[in-house]
Amino acid sequence: MTTSSTMDIPAHVPEDRVVDFDYLRPAGINEDLHVAWKNAQDTLPDIFWTPRNGGHWVVTRADAIKAIQLDHKRFSHARLSIGGPYAREGSVVQMDPPRHGSYRMLVSPTFSPKAVAALEPIVRETTVSIVEELRPKGECEFVGDFAQIVPVVVFLGTVDLPAEDRDYLLPLAEKVIRPRDRQEHHEGHTALDEYVARALAARAKQPGSDLLSKIVTARIGGEPIAFEAAVALSQVVLAAGLDTVASILGFVVRFLALNPGHRQQLIDDASLVPNAVEELIRRHGLVNSARLITQDTEFQGMRLKEGEQILVPNHLYGLDERQVDNPLVVDFTRPHPEQHYAAFGNGPHRCPGSFLAKLELTVFLQEWLARIPDFAIKPGTTPRIASGPVNTIQELHLAWDTDPR
Amino acid sequence: MPKITFIEDDGTEHAVEAGADASVMQAAMDNLVPGIVAECGGYANCATCHVYIDPAWADKLPAPEEAEEVMIEAAFDVRPTSRLSCQVQVTEDTDGLIVRLPASQTGA
Repeated sequence: MTTSSTMDIPAHVPEDRVVDFDYLRPAGINEDLHVAWKNAQDTLPDIFWTPRNGGHWVVTRADAIKAIQLDHKRFSHARLSIGGPYAREGSVVQMDPPRHGSYRMLVSPTFSPKAVAALEPIVRETTVSIVEELRPKGECEFVGDFAQIVPVVVFLGTVDLPAEDRDYLLPLAEKVIRPRDRQEHHEGHTALDEYVARALAARAKQPGSDLLSKIVTARIGGEPIAFEAAVALSQVVLAAGLDTVASILGFVVRFLALNPGHRQQLIDDASLVPNAVEELIRRHGLVNSARLITQDTEFQGMRLKEGEQILVPNHLYGLDERQVDNPLVVDFTRPHPEQHYAAFGNGPHRCPGSFLAKLELTVFLQEWLARIPDFAIKPGTTPRIASGPVNTIQELHLAWDTDPR
Repeated sequence: MPKITFIEDDGTEHAVEAGADASVMQAAMDNLVPGIVAECGGYANCATCHVYIDPAWADKLPAPEEAEEVMIEAAFDVRPTSRLSCQVQVTEDTDGLIVRLPASQTGA
């Protein structure tokens, strides 16, 4: 094989652990992305090396996924996607402890359950108003018409920016969430940087009680935070809730479109919704992040070399039958699904926005099903599904009867 | 092994033995004491292992670090003896510790 994305097999990789696996294009993702990945987990070695995408290791099982996420000394965040950029100053997601902690503690309190409870009115109003607008139309393209909008509006509310900025941010969110190419993705991120930089500059002059003011006036190790670092941190807060929330909403609504029995179960018994949210997250994890190996070391019987990358598909944790029974079955009455996934990560980097994400999903299930209980994938359309650093649904047309009975 | 007594909001007591090197949060989870969520797994990042240390014990424990202090403020119903139990280490010196649990970790 001589494509630009392949390379020679390093000498320290055993021959039986070399697999031609492209994590951006596993076979069968258009049917069910998670079944396709589960198939890889079932049929490939627990740890292997692929020459694709520049060459990297892959682990597939829950124990390894968790162990790597908890071992930042050997598995650094400094290069967090396969073939991606090295750490940028102030990017909290790319720092390792202990430095990570002083930035992280600026953000975490804003997303505690108590803080998130205060955001519920914004989440609910936004959700209801969009669904009310969509209902009489009888159809929608769910990603653009719903999934991208909610996180943008919620971010603006969280940091006390004008709701009208939504119209400016949505096209940028579109570029970040479903770019046509790498260039557009980069443009989207740059524009978000510029947007938060402007907001931070204004808050530096006139601080309020919001998160951006807190970040821009923070002290790190006794020194005022560098402006660049404040921008990078704020951008992460914005961007981290965009593609992730849009993606999980996409997978959840696709599942519900295909499973009327599950819809009816939630309509009949609304008390199931919180556990259903946990179960849907377990079954539809999103993230394929990478770690940079910091030293020559041994892991699960393999010799790993400093500077190599290892893919940590943490969505596979919740699908591993070694720690959860019948992993592909969605069972809203499953006891404690939250104990059987790593969708928000493990360890110091665990997603600070998990309570907010769950609130957004809970409100979505409640308000959507109350207004559009019966819906399907629009006949003649095929959802566009993509595997990547964040697994996602890029396009999903839904249809429903506007005048049932 | 050091003993800890957890007292739920409704008064139910749970006397447990904590493993060496455990946090108070881990001791509660290991012994299936209800009322602690510990969403983040023990990194002072989520404020859902919030407890009230018995006043007689409050001053005997090492003071919270800054990361814990800022997260305590983000918990529900904070009181002067509030701590995040993931940041309170079990030692021989904590034998007999009494810890009260809040009505809710998540407001639900």
